[in-house]
Amino acid sequence: MIKSQNLLTEVESKELLKKAGIPVIETKLARSKKEAISISKKMGFPVVLKVSSPDVIHKSDSGGVKLGLVNATQVGKAFSEIISSVKKAYPKAQIEGVSVQLMASPGVEVIVGMSKDPQFGPVLMFGLGGVFVEVLKDVSFRIVPVTERDASEMIKEIKGYPILEGYRGQKPASIPALQKLIIKVSQFVEKNPQIKELDLNPVFAYPDKAVAVDARIILE
Amino acid sequence: MFKEKLKELEPLFYPKSIAVVGVSSTSIKVGSVWVSALLSAGFPGPIYPVGSGGGKIFNLEIFPSLRLVPGDVDYVIVAIPRRSVLELLDDCIIKKVKAVQFFTAGFSETGTPEGYKLEEQMLEKARQGGIRIIGPNCIGLYCPEHKMTSLLGKIGETGPVGFISQSGGIAGKLIEIGIARHINYSKGVSFGNGIDLDASDFLQYMAADPKTKVIGAYLEGTRKGARLFNTIKEVAKVKPLVVWKGGRTEVGAQAAMSHTGSLASSAAIWSAMFRQAGAIEVNNLEELTDTLLIFQQLNCWQGTSIAIIGGLADGGGGISVSASDACLESGLRVPLLSLETKQELGKLLGEVGSILRNPVDVSQARGMANLFKAIDLVARDTVIDIILIQEDIDILSPIYGQKGLEEINEFFMELRNRHNKPVIIVLPPGSAEPERLQIEQKLLPASVPVFCSMERAAKAIYKLNQYSCWQEAK
Repeated sequence: MIKSQNLLTEVESKELLKKAGIPVIETKLARSKKEAISISKKMGFPVVLKVSSPDVIHKSDSGGVKLGLVNATQVGKAFSEIISSVKKAYPKAQIEGVSVQLMASPGVEVIVGMSKDPQFGPVLMFGLGGVFVEVLKDVSFRIVPVTERDASEMIKEIKGYPILEGYRGQKPASIPALQKLIIKVSQFVEKNPQIKELDLNPVFAYPDKAVAVDARIILE
Repeated sequence: MFKEKLKELEPLFYPKSIAVVGVSSTSIKVGSVWVSALLSAGFPGPIYPVGSGGGKIFNLEIFPSLRLVPGDVDYVIVAIPRRSVLELLDDCIIKKVKAVQFFTAGFSETGTPEGYKLEEQMLEKARQGGIRIIGPNCIGLYCPEHKMTSLLGKIGETGPVGFISQSGGIAGKLIEIGIARHINYSKGVSFGNGIDLDASDFLQYMAADPKTKVIGAYLEGTRKGARLFNTIKEVAKVKPLVVWKGGRTEVGAQAAMSHTGSLASSAAIWSAMFRQAGAIEVNNLEELTDTLLIFQQLNCWQGTSIAIIGGLADGGGGISVSASDACLESGLRVPLLSLETKQELGKLLGEVGSILRNPVDVSQARGMANLFKAIDLVARDTVIDIILIQEDIDILSPIYGQKGLEEINEFFMELRNRHNKPVIIVLPPGSAEPERLQIEQKLLPASVPVFCSMERAAKAIYKLNQYSCWQEAK
């Protein structure tokens, strides 16, 4: 657990991103089991529940994430399990409740992030999600502000680019949608210098759009 | 662009008079070496040695203080201990000096608070007195046109290449390699800690300088990242800028910190910055000088279709195959020759299958006249942009002798003009080193790029094209 006053919750982060015109998957905070069930009914199933706490950075490691919940009973049970296992892992964590979101249909997983370089200021990063970013470090960087050309180059620069174009029958990812998303993120961090770090991880890229499924914002 | 910077810094590269502070008639001092360097280079204006002991050096009077120098002083080179630099700046202000270059080290690069504080005090004084500072911890300006030399005292020919270097050692190497390989400089500067004038200032100056056509840079870090990024972006719009970033690895980065007191940042971000700004990144001194040479010789030539000619005397099969690899791996093309060229070659050399391919094997040519005809046929082919020829002097020298070699190379120089296509020569080092160097020294002044290996030639050709591609995509 990292005690961080500066870590925004997923719901707060997505709220800010949405206002900035960055496509995010709709995510709502449920403070009780009852609320979690009624939100999921409105959204439709299957849903994903995640613990919402400014003190928990690695949500899934502490049992704070439940995927593919298909009905109200499962949602209720998941809510209780999340709260109890996070409390056990992080007894001092302040828990606001759980976030509820629709389980996104699978797309090509990418990551878009921002960190600050001591010499050049905010820098955007792009890469394919999962093993590509973690093990192969197949990512590209550009300094903010990022132009259309920069965004296009940073997408094409990664070695895994052919995967985005559609590989072995997998549907291609919309490059224009990713490009637009990167530019919006650049504008967003430029307007909000109080943001220290940002992670849209993963973003799901589809043939016609790209949507941030999880998001994290860390303030200065 | 940057016209004001040109006006601002032009007097620094063309001073009318220079004072060197830190000279002694009795002991060996860096200042004395500097005076000797300026004298041997033939600096056209008065040189005033300054040193507290007075006396004479190289028949010049040593003035005990800068204030006692009788004439105007434009530029001051300082090689005295750091404790005396503030006092010296006072003298410079009184003498209405335009710029001061500090060879003196021991400032922020040591990482000590005193080092930083002293730099701040120097800068404040200079700003108040309207003086520009170069350094500290640097070997200063190089302007062969004005016979303005660095500490080394060597002066090469004047040419279209400008360079900036955070390190004095690398600046020295650039000058030396420049003299050896005919990379001819318009201006060069080593700016060390860059407390006043830094990389951005000199890049802007060189972008505006009509005598500079291509710029090389060695950088380790920056204190003003945003300014550097924006400067590189603007400079790359008007001139090719080739950059080598030192201190890329963790250990290197630490060395950079203690070297010129710069704050190092991660290699990936620097590379991204260079790409984003349109600079051409290289990774070592070889690549930097190779790339500067090809830009100087070929002036932004565009074209990636290479005809490889190996084995002027023997088959040269292995060389040609590996040359193909080098070209293709560097992102160049080795296209098939046109049908017409193949037919003509066939007639000339006899119908041997292998000779009709690219890489071209001309070893079947009987006699020099046929050899020249064959090469001319390939050069004339419209599918070909650049002719890359490997000349193995170890093999050619015993066959053709000195006179024959000269004739062959005369032909290559003439070929370039005949077809208005670059001819690039690879002269691999071997045992016939004196003969090889002699040929290199003939080809280079004739605007023919010469490299030691096919790999280095291919990489340089690729970098040359990188600039035009960037310009076109804009």
